[in-house]
Amino acid sequence: MKRMIEIKNVTKIYPGQKEPALKNISLTIESGEFFGLLGPNGAGKTTMIKLLATLLIPNEGEIIVDGEVLRRASRDVKRRLSMITQEYSLRANMTPEQIMELQGRLYHLPHDKIKARSDELLTFCGLHEHRKKVCRQLSGGMKRKLMLCRGLLTEPDILILDEPTVGLDPFARRQMWDLLKQLNDRGMTILLTTHYIDEAQYLCRRIALIDKGRTDRVDSPAELIKELGSVAVDEFDGSHTKSSFFKDREEALKYAASLEGEFMIRSTTLEDVFLALIGRKLEAK
Amino acid sequence: MGIVTAIWEKWVEFKYEWKKITAAAMVSPLLYMIALGWGLGSMASMGGRPYIDFLVPGVIAMSTMNNSFSAVSTSLNIQRIFEHSFEQIIISPTSLGQYVVGQSVGGALRGVYSGILVLLISIPFGVGLKLTPMFFLIMFLNGLAFGALGVLAAIIGNNHTDVSRFATFIITPMTFLCNTFFPLDKVPGAIQILIKLLPLTHASSQLRGISYGGPASLFSIAVLIAYSAAFMLISVFLINKRKNL
Repeated sequence: MKRMIEIKNVTKIYPGQKEPALKNISLTIESGEFFGLLGPNGAGKTTMIKLLATLLIPNEGEIIVDGEVLRRASRDVKRRLSMITQEYSLRANMTPEQIMELQGRLYHLPHDKIKARSDELLTFCGLHEHRKKVCRQLSGGMKRKLMLCRGLLTEPDILILDEPTVGLDPFARRQMWDLLKQLNDRGMTILLTTHYIDEAQYLCRRIALIDKGRTDRVDSPAELIKELGSVAVDEFDGSHTKSSFFKDREEALKYAASLEGEFMIRSTTLEDVFLALIGRKLEAK
Repeated sequence: MGIVTAIWEKWVEFKYEWKKITAAAMVSPLLYMIALGWGLGSMASMGGRPYIDFLVPGVIAMSTMNNSFSAVSTSLNIQRIFEHSFEQIIISPTSLGQYVVGQSVGGALRGVYSGILVLLISIPFGVGLKLTPMFFLIMFLNGLAFGALGVLAAIIGNNHTDVSRFATFIITPMTFLCNTFFPLDKVPGAIQILIKLLPLTHASSQLRGISYGGPASLFSIAVLIAYSAAFMLISVFLINKRKNL
């Protein structure tokens, strides 16, 4: 597989801060991969996304996109890249139609194509009837969908999504998952950060667990789960739930038989991996 | 391409709020003309001409400066700090240099619009000025310099208050000092030299000279172009070099 994004020994320190937001991070994302960055609040996910968008410049290290070092003036690389930010990042006094036109103009698309593709995307996302309203009149979910339409207008090779489903209702969230899956199946490289662990587990082929500016593990959700133990036993001791993990169901049943209180046997999820990682860190503190 | 995009963006902004923009651009000039033109001006003449003839070109220069600066600085700073929509410009393949030029030109056009409004307001005051294409070119170049300064202020300012302070320390002193309300020969030598270095001094003296039927000074035109180019270059340099936008 061709390397699409290479993050090499990247360190980012914000002005006035002693601790780096990202410390010596190295990651490789392959062409056509659906890659997830998963971590708690303040882990450094958004900093990484902003570095990829060149909104931030690393203090050390470099980012290479399809063989070219990414810089703020890298126009050819940027033509192939779209980003959906965590903040709404929309002009409040512009209509969806104008937002799409601005995006098309910024990416030097012909006017006919901007119009045709905007109509198609806004219709797909149920925003066509709202295309003449200014953004400040749109709901949070509509704004989120509009940002997706804007990101897809330019038919990018690489799509970077920072918490894209925040504020969407469960139906719209599933709809977006399906769309992202389709885009990835067509060969689009997608980098996703999310708080929703089920989202990362469902969508991503590989995941980097990131915490306090460092990447702990990079692997597929299945491998991360297997490493922790595929079967979980939850036991409630009256004040909190303790989860134990086992290689298989047989081992889990053997352990459960020794328990006196209530318990539940279930499959391990990526959330367990995430909690175990954070839990280990808290214990280490 | 980036220049046209930025001008288009300013046009969309203008279309959305043109009534408010028009009303706001008329208030200060109207007050200056009533207070200084009809009021104080009725008691004075300037070089054998009514004071209002002296005042109006100065007010046009001032209005062009204020409107060009605020049209760019306020909007761009809001986009950068509050709306985060400036991020999409940075992410896009549009040349930042072209975008900065486009914003400055958009600001300049807004300045020219406010200058034309001042001319319209001045009609009932019986002002006798000669208007030539060069008069409008000076208005545009003055707007270009201050539109570019607006980009710079929006990039330097880390919040809206910073932009207001920038206006307080840079724009307001120029409003009162740069040959707007009184001729510079009344000002002591050293301060006069300092004031003559400022772009608004050149804009107001040129607008006044042309409106009195005199020729334009190529030196003043060059000064306004140099200021515009310098502010744009510094803005692009800062956008490209800042580690945290």
